[in-house]
Amino acid sequence: MRIVVLGAGTVGRSIASLLCLHRHSVTVVDTNADRIRHINENFDVRGITGSASQSSILFQAGVGSADLCLAVTGLDEVNIVSASMAKAMGANRAVARVYAPVFRDLSTFDYRRHFGIDRLLSLEHLTALELARGIRHPGSVVVESLARGELEVHEVMVSKEKKGVGKALKELELSKNVRIGSLSRDGRTWIAGAEDKIQLGDRLTIIGTRHEIDDVKSLFCSDTNQKQRVVIAGGGETGYHLANVLEGGHHNVVLIELDRDRCEFLASHLKQTTVVNRDATRRAILEEERVSASDVFVACTGDDEDNIMASVEARDIGANTIMALVGRPDYAHVVGKLGIDHAVSPREVVAKQVLGFLTNGPIVSKTMLSEGSNLSVLEIDVKEGSPATEHVLANLGLPSQTLIAAVIREGFAAVPGGDYQFMPGDTVIALIADEMIESIEKVF
Amino acid sequence: MKFVDFVSREAIRTDIEVDNKEQVIRAMANALLEAGKIAEDQHESIVEAILKREELGSTGIGRGVAVPHTKHPSVKELVGTVAVSDSGVDFDSLDGEKVHLLFMLVSPPDRPGDHLRALENISRQLRDETFCRFLKQSKEPGDVWQLLEEADNNQFV
Repeated sequence: MRIVVLGAGTVGRSIASLLCLHRHSVTVVDTNADRIRHINENFDVRGITGSASQSSILFQAGVGSADLCLAVTGLDEVNIVSASMAKAMGANRAVARVYAPVFRDLSTFDYRRHFGIDRLLSLEHLTALELARGIRHPGSVVVESLARGELEVHEVMVSKEKKGVGKALKELELSKNVRIGSLSRDGRTWIAGAEDKIQLGDRLTIIGTRHEIDDVKSLFCSDTNQKQRVVIAGGGETGYHLANVLEGGHHNVVLIELDRDRCEFLASHLKQTTVVNRDATRRAILEEERVSASDVFVACTGDDEDNIMASVEARDIGANTIMALVGRPDYAHVVGKLGIDHAVSPREVVAKQVLGFLTNGPIVSKTMLSEGSNLSVLEIDVKEGSPATEHVLANLGLPSQTLIAAVIREGFAAVPGGDYQFMPGDTVIALIADEMIESIEKVF
Repeated sequence: MKFVDFVSREAIRTDIEVDNKEQVIRAMANALLEAGKIAEDQHESIVEAILKREELGSTGIGRGVAVPHTKHPSVKELVGTVAVSDSGVDFDSLDGEKVHLLFMLVSPPDRPGDHLRALENISRQLRDETFCRFLKQSKEPGDVWQLLEEADNNQFV
């Protein structure tokens, strides 16, 4: 495929190298001639020196015939303008990276729609969600990166004689915002139907909105009320989003940030997080903030070295699980040796997203539900004129072993009922047996 | 876009006495719910969306006025309401003043033009001191409605 990457900073360079590795034809644009020279020497890409917001440059880069244009310069405004222009000039898909949260909020002004851009991505938000996933349900699939963190897939083991056990699904009167997805018993996994009776020892996946999923969990197992203590070092955009996603619920969150003004902001926006105005890179402070008694320590300041050092200290003090934001690729090899359990790199997070944009069909991404199962979670874009838009959900004649778990329209996630009518531009989250994927592709 | 095109007469409240931002937003959403303008099962989601918008920057635009708003897929057309609070609500306004007059707007995501025209209308009409003062002094929802109609007929600007 033909891909134009606007911006050759850390993010742009890593995306370009990844795309080269996947044998795509890549053009990179940057104002800085040194960066272009550097990227030209290291990767098999075409480099153009110039401003991504100038039509002449975009034209030279060939956005008109590009399958995908990724605007990832360091400036939000440039990314928005150039992605918008690329789309108007003929690029099949245009994606812009933005930092400020306001660009992704559509209450007052819908930037994405106004500028005709397909996706606005926040690296910091995606990274925070990746960290949150590691903290909340290690090993589970969480589709929250699309649904603004509102939608999740949880796996539970039916462990206690609670009131949900021994009943058929249709008798449970589940909230309409929650679906039971798959059911595993005796080594076999299938998509649960209304007649299936829940037994002790079954493994279930539950899909739904964050608030209601816990109610359903309590029907099948009792140990959902243990609070985890999480200490976050660094209150930048990533730390803020992470605290925001985690707070309330099952986590006690402490956020340590050095900058006093930023602390004021954090304290006023995070109602249930304890914000501490101190230097998290100092061991004495980590000790005083009782990092030793924490379940998870997350280092996500803007500085790799600070993150690694704080992580090593936290490990030494006795935190249970250590996570760190590590941007530089050459550090990736050593972090495990230093006792960091889970290192998240913003570049890798964005790379995962970008690879999803490279599909031609309606399926944007496909994730295995769990290791070794034949069920997958699909993200599907509803295309203009597809059969799915012609009837309500109940009348679509979807193949068996398929569950439409959720639909995201204009950034809002919902669990659709039988009378739901899909519209072009909707994103559908479906749970499906692998052998049915081809037939569902035809529907959308 | 005129006020009467999106403000729900039945949802206007002139007796709002609350302590904080969240409570006033909740009360106004309740009024919309009671007027049948929003669905009961979407009420919480709408309140959360409006509060989330406030996190980006207060919609308290000064001079005792706030315009909390959001887009939400559960509404099929623009819905809005007006609330008056005699004692005022702390709304983190730009000028630090308490808010006495609030316009709430919830609109469907696929009508961005109407949404912007409604917001534009609210801010343009509220530039008029007299209109603003009369609204804040309103004791009955009927008074508010009458003022809105008069504003629609350009009696203030």
